[in-house]
Amino acid sequence: MHFFSQNFQYDHPWSHVVIAMWHKYPNSKCTHVVSIDTIDRSVDPVTGIIRTERVLGCKQKAPIWIVKLFGGSEDAFVREISFVDPATQNVTITSVNLSLSQFATCYEQIRYTPLPSNKTMFSQTAEVQARMALWRSAADGLEKWLVQRFEQNAHLGKLGFTDVLRNLWEERHRAHSS
Amino acid sequence: MSQSLSAECTPLKIEYDSCFNSWFEGYLDPAVKASKTPEARAAYAKQKADEFNQKCGKIWEQYKGCVQHAVKEKGLDTLLQQAREENPLVDPIPPLPTQPPK
Repeated sequence: MHFFSQNFQYDHPWSHVVIAMWHKYPNSKCTHVVSIDTIDRSVDPVTGIIRTERVLGCKQKAPIWIVKLFGGSEDAFVREISFVDPATQNVTITSVNLSLSQFATCYEQIRYTPLPSNKTMFSQTAEVQARMALWRSAADGLEKWLVQRFEQNAHLGKLGFTDVLRNLWEERHRAHSS
Repeated sequence: MSQSLSAECTPLKIEYDSCFNSWFEGYLDPAVKASKTPEARAAYAKQKADEFNQKCGKIWEQYKGCVQHAVKEKGLDTLLQQAREENPLVDPIPPLPTQPPK
């Protein structure tokens, strides 16, 4: 099992971050995400909580030995479930890989919560776990590769989303003030 | 906006996403403000859930039909089924106890 976690804050109010969350892709800094589809969505008529289930398509160049060993391809799909709860101002996004899931799972959780002074806390954790008891060293290599990819993409995700936030809200601010 | 996993669903996806986004942007801030009492929250939630279905329900049915077919064609339906059995993720994840006060 390998873990990854990071926290940081965006200098934008929580509702701006949560609105911009749906505008994150396509993103020139995160070109590994090539498709996004909503496969289920509900708005709870009592709590107001929005649950969204999406499938993300990613292109990842895996090391040759992983492709040979596990039969992976360039296309990888991820299932993502998010909950937006306006009452508690709590957003959670949980993602699990669909591709190669018989061999390893990458379970990611993201949370956006409001901070004082109109800032937003972003926290992210991921657990990468190979399922096989056999092939210990191969599994370990796979985990390390996945966690490395995750770290790189997490970094790009932050850079990319920072751009989206800035562009979206600067543009709207300009439109509003003109 | 990003692509659908199937090119033929992309126009429907774009239309649905736009519909959701424009509804959501009008929903979020008032929903936070309407959450002072459970009654006010429920009244607002019911009204806006109905409005969402009314505005985006039709395009959602079209897009959903297209994407369900594409998911099956890519062989993702069994993987999704397994993932849903393993982690249903039907109930919201509760806020952290250390979450700062609003």
